[in-house]
Amino acid sequence: MSELDILFYILSSMSVLFGALVVLTSSPIYSSLYLVMSMLSVAGIFMTLNAPFIAGIQIIVYAGAVLVLFVMVLMLFDLKRETKAFTKGRFSGFLKLVGAGLLCGFIAGAAYESVSLIMATSEEIPTNIAAAAETGFSPTTNSIKEISKLLFTKYLFAFEVLGLLLLVVPIGAVALSRVAGGTHAKH
Amino acid sequence: MGSDVFEISINFVKMVAIFLLMVNLVPMLVWVERRGSAFIQNRFGPNRVGPLGLIQLAADAIKFLFKEEFIPPKGNKALFLIAPIIALIPGAIAFCSIPLSVPIEISAFEMFGSQWGPYVFPFQSFEIGIGIVFVLGVSSLGAYSMLLAGFGSANKYSLYGALRASAQMISYELAMGLAIVGILIVYGTFDFAEMIAAQQGPLSIPLFEADHVVNKVLGILPNWGVFYQPVGFILLFVSVFAETNRLPFDLPEAESELVAGYHTEYGGIKMNMFYIGEYGHMMVASALIAVFYFGGYSLGTTLDTILVEGTIVPNMSALFASLLNLFGSGWEQSTNLINVVRAFVFHGIFMAKILLFLWIFVWVRWTLPRFRYDQLMDLGWKTMLPWALANTILTAFLMLFLR
Amino acid sequence: MQSTEALVSVGLNHYLVLSALLFTIGALGVLLRKNMIVILMSIELMLNAVNISFVAFATYLDNLDGKIMVLFVMTIAAAEAAVGLALAVNIFKNFREVNIRFFEHLRG
Repeated sequence: MSELDILFYILSSMSVLFGALVVLTSSPIYSSLYLVMSMLSVAGIFMTLNAPFIAGIQIIVYAGAVLVLFVMVLMLFDLKRETKAFTKGRFSGFLKLVGAGLLCGFIAGAAYESVSLIMATSEEIPTNIAAAAETGFSPTTNSIKEISKLLFTKYLFAFEVLGLLLLVVPIGAVALSRVAGGTHAKH
Repeated sequence: MGSDVFEISINFVKMVAIFLLMVNLVPMLVWVERRGSAFIQNRFGPNRVGPLGLIQLAADAIKFLFKEEFIPPKGNKALFLIAPIIALIPGAIAFCSIPLSVPIEISAFEMFGSQWGPYVFPFQSFEIGIGIVFVLGVSSLGAYSMLLAGFGSANKYSLYGALRASAQMISYELAMGLAIVGILIVYGTFDFAEMIAAQQGPLSIPLFEADHVVNKVLGILPNWGVFYQPVGFILLFVSVFAETNRLPFDLPEAESELVAGYHTEYGGIKMNMFYIGEYGHMMVASALIAVFYFGGYSLGTTLDTILVEGTIVPNMSALFASLLNLFGSGWEQSTNLINVVRAFVFHGIFMAKILLFLWIFVWVRWTLPRFRYDQLMDLGWKTMLPWALANTILTAFLMLFLR
Repeated sequence: MQSTEALVSVGLNHYLVLSALLFTIGALGVLLRKNMIVILMSIELMLNAVNISFVAFATYLDNLDGKIMVLFVMTIAAAEAAVGLALAVNIFKNFREVNIRFFEHLRG
């Protein structure tokens, strides 16, 4: 068992555990903090997948900006009524468990089986991280240059549309939360 | 971590040493702040406890350790206790990933009867190929300590201070990121060591030849980033003031406004941890400014070769060789010793630059009045963001035409 | 694969199963929770799971398109979180209630 394997197991169990805690906790502030931990674990998983740039972007965008926004909004709300997280009832609870298990099983099984289909189409895909590392991942600085080259040639239209989206979204957010008379108006 | 015992142990010692360097620089900074502010305000600072008042900080630390542990009864105990720890961690991790000096190259040597191979030790705790992206990401995690501290204390003023402080922090991260993008366009790499290497040599404009009189005049100056990106330098410099909640941007901590902001309810060692976090962020910011705009640990090629390589390094290594000759023999010819001394001399130069910027932080704090909160947010969004965007576009155009 | 080897050497399968687990946890959060903000957070969890799957495929098929898709997905997720939170703040201001059971019957 190489170190990357141990690291993968630790990080993936952390991310699944914190993800489950996000859904199961009844206090929304604790949910958001568990989500931050889950995002950081996922950034670690990106590191084991030899994508440090994506890991850095994950920390900056998700854990450092989006979730700060979530936590700020939750602290503004000050939700006092902490009722139970899920609706009551034994039969509905049982149905929820069964449904959850079925969904999980379907997706995990489908993911597991699909890999053998992909392997059947191409023989040179390495099947574990250590073997893939030996065949030579491209080093980091090259891959960032390559990503940006692709971004500006093959995906240029999508990139520009994304810029337009990032222009429209703050305008929309400001328009949604506008108070009649401006920020300094007297209510 | 390394291939054999020697390398692993040296790496471990290096990690601990750099972390302790950051933590131990904080009392020095607090002393500089208290004496420096006194000097600016024409009074004495602490000067009784020990020579020049240097032991005052040790006395303060001991006093903090013995204070009563107070947790607000209505507050959220877990969040209240976690917040100071989260304040410490981002500054420490970010400081550990910035190279503080040249890598130390140790050629093969023999000790305890076995051969230890050639090593290269980078002068940082860990080396990540993405450099600045990691530092930016980890610094933005500092917003959580303020939010959790403000929420965990059951106090309206703390909550307001926390929300204001974190909103200010994420607003100025934009201008900071765009200023850094300008530098990335100029140097074309994320890695700190490559950026420092690209700042060697004399300054020159590529449009003229090397013998042109403009290039000869400019050649006196070193090839530092501040001459390529002056607007970016000003933007980054102002943004890090807002990021670390220092005056003139420290309304969330102002006493007349919000008692003490998000750390109102903290006392004792937990309050000290907030200050260590703030000074840690200041150190990271100073290190970033030194690396991007002022050549990092090098002084420019001519001064490097004349001063450092020519005089300081041989003299100091001769001194250490004569000291070590008491224990063994033959240390004068050891290139390993020269490499180690060279790394530490460059490290001294880097620390001098960092200390200069930290003094400028202290100087500005006690000179300027503070901004009102809406003026602060207006400055961040309506002034600095358009200037940063214009800087990025202009830099991109210039790089396109000059290549 | 032998059962011990499947556990010991981590391959593409493992990353896809992890991604599937996170995705189902997020989907269950969206379907079963009543708090509007927690539903938004579960959506972020689902998008993260998809990101893991993209990067895993990009690494194992030695292709860079997966990493670029991850950048797009992250940007869109951030934009959607911003708009979703703006809407949630507006709803809270008007109704003082973030429980979605309150809004189920299309009243008013």
